[in-house]
Amino acid sequence: MIVCVAVVGHQNNPLYIQSFTEADDALKLHHIVHCSLDVVDERVNNPKKSGLTLNETFLGLLYPTENYKVYGYLTNTKVKFILVTTDLDVRDADVRNLRYGIAKFFRRFHAAYVDAVSNPFHVPGKRITSRTFAERVSNIVKSFGLSSAG
Amino acid sequence: MEPDVSVETSAMIRIAIIPIGKIPHQTLRDYYSMFLHHHTIPLSSISSFYTEEQKSPFTNQPWETGSLRFKFVLGGEPPSPWEDFQSNRKILAVIGVFHCPLSPDLDSVIEEFDGVCKGYASARVTRCFGFFPCDSQLEDGGKKGENLRLFPPADRQTQEMHLQTMMQEIAASLLMEFEKYVFQAESAGTILKTPLDSQASLSSEEVDNFEFCKKLQVIKAKKRRLGRAQKTIGDYCLLAGSPVDANAHYSTALELARLTADYFWYAGALEGSVCALLIDQLSLKDPSLEDEVRYRYSSVILHYKKSFIPENAQRVSPLSFELEANLKLARYLCRKELAKEVVDLLTSAADGAKSLIDATDRLILYVEIARLFGTLGYQRKAAFFSRQVAQLYLQQDNKLAAISALQVLSMTTKAYRVQSRASISSNSHINEVGSSHADSGKMHHQSVVSLFESQWSTLQMVVLREILLSAVRAGDPLAAWSAAARLLRSYYPLITPAGQNGLARALANSSEMLPSGIRCSDPALPFVRLYSFPLHPSQMDIIKCNPAREDWWAGSAPSGPFIYTPFSKGEPNDSSKQDLIWIVGEPVQILVELANPCGFNLRVDSIYLSVHSGNFDPFPISLDLPPNSSKVITLSGIPTSVGPVTIPGCTVHCFGVVTEHLFRDVDNLLHGAAQGLVLSDPFRCCGSPKLKNVSVPNISVVPPLPLLVSHVVGGDGAIVLYEGEIREIHISLANAGTVPVDQAHISLSGKNQDSVLLISYETLKSNLPLKPGAEVILPVTLKAWKLGLVDLDNASGSMGRQLKDSSSPSLLIHYAGPLTDCEDPPKGSAVAPGRRLVVPLNMCVLQGLSFVKARLLSMEIPAHVGENLPKPVYLENSSKEAIDSETKMDGLVKIDPFRGSWGLRFLELELSNPTDLVFEISVSVQLDSTEDKLSAGQDATEYGYPKTRIDRDFSARVLIPLEHFKLPILDGSFFMKDFKPDGAVGSRNSSFSEKSAKAELKASINNLISRIKVRWQSGRTSSGELNIKDAIQAALKTSAMDVLLPDPLTFGFRLVRNNLSQESGDSRPKGSVLAHDMTPMEIVVRNNTKEMIRMSLNITCRDVAGENCVEGTKATVLWSGVLNGIAIDAPPLQESKHSFSLYFLVPGEYSLVAAALIEDATDLLRARAKTNSPDEPIFCRGPPFHVRVIGTA
Repeated sequence: MIVCVAVVGHQNNPLYIQSFTEADDALKLHHIVHCSLDVVDERVNNPKKSGLTLNETFLGLLYPTENYKVYGYLTNTKVKFILVTTDLDVRDADVRNLRYGIAKFFRRFHAAYVDAVSNPFHVPGKRITSRTFAERVSNIVKSFGLSSAG
Repeated sequence: MEPDVSVETSAMIRIAIIPIGKIPHQTLRDYYSMFLHHHTIPLSSISSFYTEEQKSPFTNQPWETGSLRFKFVLGGEPPSPWEDFQSNRKILAVIGVFHCPLSPDLDSVIEEFDGVCKGYASARVTRCFGFFPCDSQLEDGGKKGENLRLFPPADRQTQEMHLQTMMQEIAASLLMEFEKYVFQAESAGTILKTPLDSQASLSSEEVDNFEFCKKLQVIKAKKRRLGRAQKTIGDYCLLAGSPVDANAHYSTALELARLTADYFWYAGALEGSVCALLIDQLSLKDPSLEDEVRYRYSSVILHYKKSFIPENAQRVSPLSFELEANLKLARYLCRKELAKEVVDLLTSAADGAKSLIDATDRLILYVEIARLFGTLGYQRKAAFFSRQVAQLYLQQDNKLAAISALQVLSMTTKAYRVQSRASISSNSHINEVGSSHADSGKMHHQSVVSLFESQWSTLQMVVLREILLSAVRAGDPLAAWSAAARLLRSYYPLITPAGQNGLARALANSSEMLPSGIRCSDPALPFVRLYSFPLHPSQMDIIKCNPAREDWWAGSAPSGPFIYTPFSKGEPNDSSKQDLIWIVGEPVQILVELANPCGFNLRVDSIYLSVHSGNFDPFPISLDLPPNSSKVITLSGIPTSVGPVTIPGCTVHCFGVVTEHLFRDVDNLLHGAAQGLVLSDPFRCCGSPKLKNVSVPNISVVPPLPLLVSHVVGGDGAIVLYEGEIREIHISLANAGTVPVDQAHISLSGKNQDSVLLISYETLKSNLPLKPGAEVILPVTLKAWKLGLVDLDNASGSMGRQLKDSSSPSLLIHYAGPLTDCEDPPKGSAVAPGRRLVVPLNMCVLQGLSFVKARLLSMEIPAHVGENLPKPVYLENSSKEAIDSETKMDGLVKIDPFRGSWGLRFLELELSNPTDLVFEISVSVQLDSTEDKLSAGQDATEYGYPKTRIDRDFSARVLIPLEHFKLPILDGSFFMKDFKPDGAVGSRNSSFSEKSAKAELKASINNLISRIKVRWQSGRTSSGELNIKDAIQAALKTSAMDVLLPDPLTFGFRLVRNNLSQESGDSRPKGSVLAHDMTPMEIVVRNNTKEMIRMSLNITCRDVAGENCVEGTKATVLWSGVLNGIAIDAPPLQESKHSFSLYFLVPGEYSLVAAALIEDATDLLRARAKTNSPDEPIFCRGPPFHVRVIGTA
């Protein structure tokens, strides 16, 4: 189950953080997203060592924590998408599957983000406050839960 | 768990360093730092102290390359329950340290040291080091116990050399002790237990009754004991710096432990073997070594895991060793390239933290994880775990723990971008202040990034709140203040008003515990931004001196209406780099805007400009800022000495602490707010409008200059004048500076400069040099200008608007102090600047009398026919007295010399008075005394007429009599524009004279006009002059020809008397004609042109019945006679006479009119007659003459 998705700007500024849990763990998720930036930074700075090819936007598993796994995605404008999930036993092949894996999720998420920032009233670098975007993201999250369950 | 563990930890000899006696903290640290240099003692250096008593068990000791490693524990530590398991945990040596000057009694020192050593049963070597002994102590020390070592007073280098020797000696002693221990252990076989297995082994050995099993157990226990002993011997070999020996023993131990399923010890031995391997292969970098270490350590971790016994998990657990192994491996692998692996290790270590029983262990674990993440470059994770550490500390709920928490948290602030400004390296801070001028426009990259990262407000607020909490608990009010200030300043929009109040209280409470006047590097409230940097008011403008020129002020100050002209040569027009000059001793002001976006009333105890250059005395002010408000205040100060001044911000005393608020910070903040990076703009949310970026100019302070202060005597308000009013005002100029004014020059600027009639420049000149404090009064005569249409609109509107409009002129006074003496003439820059004082003459011109229209009125009074021709005015030289005796009005009636009749001409001016006042008009005609002898006896300017009074809202007409004046000759030049001459040749020649003649005409009109002055007076003070020149000119224009040009012909009638009739006519009135008598008469025709005129003359005589007997058919003419067809040739400019006689039958009044039909009229005459057709006859008629016929019918 996806517990949190986040968009982080190219200056590591949070643009959008949304958690999908009932529990009051926003702070914890903030911390997790914040900490994941370390790994993203490291992968961005040493792309060769982390085996990241230039064209690949999906960063894969950033790091597992106690109860969560954190995945990352980096657009070519250095905007990062972070996904925190509780599915601890996902195989790497499943993750990278473009049909139903997390990579697929990130593609859809990216499309939603692009649409949101294409809004002429959106100021680049500002937090995304669009309600449409929020709805769309929650739809993507819900549908991902269904497809991965099925 | 222990902090700072690594793979090599197993090879380190732990030495406790214990302070003995009284020893200042700093001194102890100093001594301790000396020890730290000697954490590695090469085996080669200790050979001199080493004596091999028996064959060393460390057969493979590398004497050439090996070394002993020390780990110093300041203050010692209690014995660990695990020290049998890992010998490096034992305190193997105790070194006492005492400071001789404070511990004079060596005996008591030795006593205390012995007592301390008793606590360390495992210590095999004990030494007591005394520093800086006196001579007696040195002497004593020789006799006292052998463990006492005294270091003679010497410089640090010598002492360190001494210490090195001592440490080598200790190392050698330890090595010998280890040898002894190994012999003993091999032979005796001590029982080695850990807290982990004490119960299990007991139960297995005692409770089980089965013989076989017991035997088996005994064998197993024996083997196990043997294995453990081997492991311990291996440990000692490792400590002794002999990895090969250690490895051999570890192999045995591993074998035994594996057989007896003693997993815990197996893991321990394996760990030791890894350490031995590493130390052995220290010099060679084998890439396969890393794999080997990794492989063995994963096995270590696995076996520690295996050794977990669920029964006593509540009491003791090998988990900490497992985690330690994790950390050791992580530390070993801790490189960027292996980050993923390290992160995995650390993550699993962190996961294990929850199962740790001891909170201290967890604390240490988190500390280590944070440190490792930090080395890896994962700042945020390091910060995250540091925060965990801090939370653990805070759970302990005591002051020391809170201090630790505070320290740990303050380390995290960098990663969370909430660091205190004090922690940002001070050198960069200074650099930034220094370069604040250079790049005030653009933002620092650093600050941009921090603005971006400051959006993690959820995390940042939590961290700051924890810092605040821990600081309060730790009793560090300054840290608490700083945290609260940062929290309030950066996150006020996210804090509820109640929370804001709480923070304000926290600030106040913290400040109560702080000494007054303490500074904090983190500003709290209010937000301070530069509002404007007022340039000098126009009263004290500074201008550059140009010493090369007489008019030294020229070119230096802008002269036009623009403050900055793009044409000023060579000066940078970049307004952001503009220079500002301040003067020593003259107060200056800067406007700043304060904002309090919080929900409480903010009391600013004092705020003043913070100046780092030290040549400025700022004046503090205090104020209250209500909730959610902003305020623009004026901060002032006095420059105290010459030099540049930089003003980076304000110093604010608020909430009991002094802080510096930099303008640059707020600029960055506002810039961030504009880009949406920062939560909110504090000024905007206080309702203050957006302000463009104000740049700080380069300010330099110059030596004192004179300072002129002006005021208008009798009030500085606007001078209210009616149009055309003339008034003299007095301007007082005082030197308020400390330097005399040596030079001064007055000029005018602005609109309506001609309204200043007279400035008494001499008054100012004669008072120079104007000493400080001296005053001079300058009279200035003003004349109000005429309001234009626009001004009239303004006047009808509000008064305020009119006052503001800038139509008033200003006096520019350029002045300067004494010229600098020739101390340094080559330096051109040494010329002291001058100043400029602008005295605006605030004239408020009100609409006065308004002119409606002007008309020319003329009338003719026929002349009487007499014996003489009527004498033209200009001929009357002798009759002056007679005219004088007559009334002035009579004097107006003059004989027109060219018409021969009495003429009277008035200029009628219609004036209206729209004001609320009564005006009195007096008209005066200034007579030219040389031409006009009429006025010779009178005051030329006072040749006036009765005053006309115009009441408010009324209009009146004023008559101005016009003097006769006509040109003597009717010349063709006046009509040049009306017709083109036929011959092109002639026109060329005549054009010059024609032009001059035309100019003459114009000049004579102007002359006439300028002589007429219409003055008005209203009330007692207001008086002025109406400017009606244009009006008169317009009025005269239409009839100028008739007024000014003579007729071509002048006719005059004269009675011709023979002697007889003259005698007989004595009784008759002069100039009368008798009826029934032949009256000889003469008509005189004067040709006023330059050409011969041939004419046919008619003379008509009629009786006068109506007013107009000449024209009109209605006149009732009873008697008339006509004499016509007289042909006369009048030569140019001459008179010709024609005699005729009249015989009247009826006495009465008659008119004689002469008329002439000009034959062969020239174009000139046609033009004068205003005809166009060449065939039309030109008719010229003279004025009627009166003839009185007396007698009886």
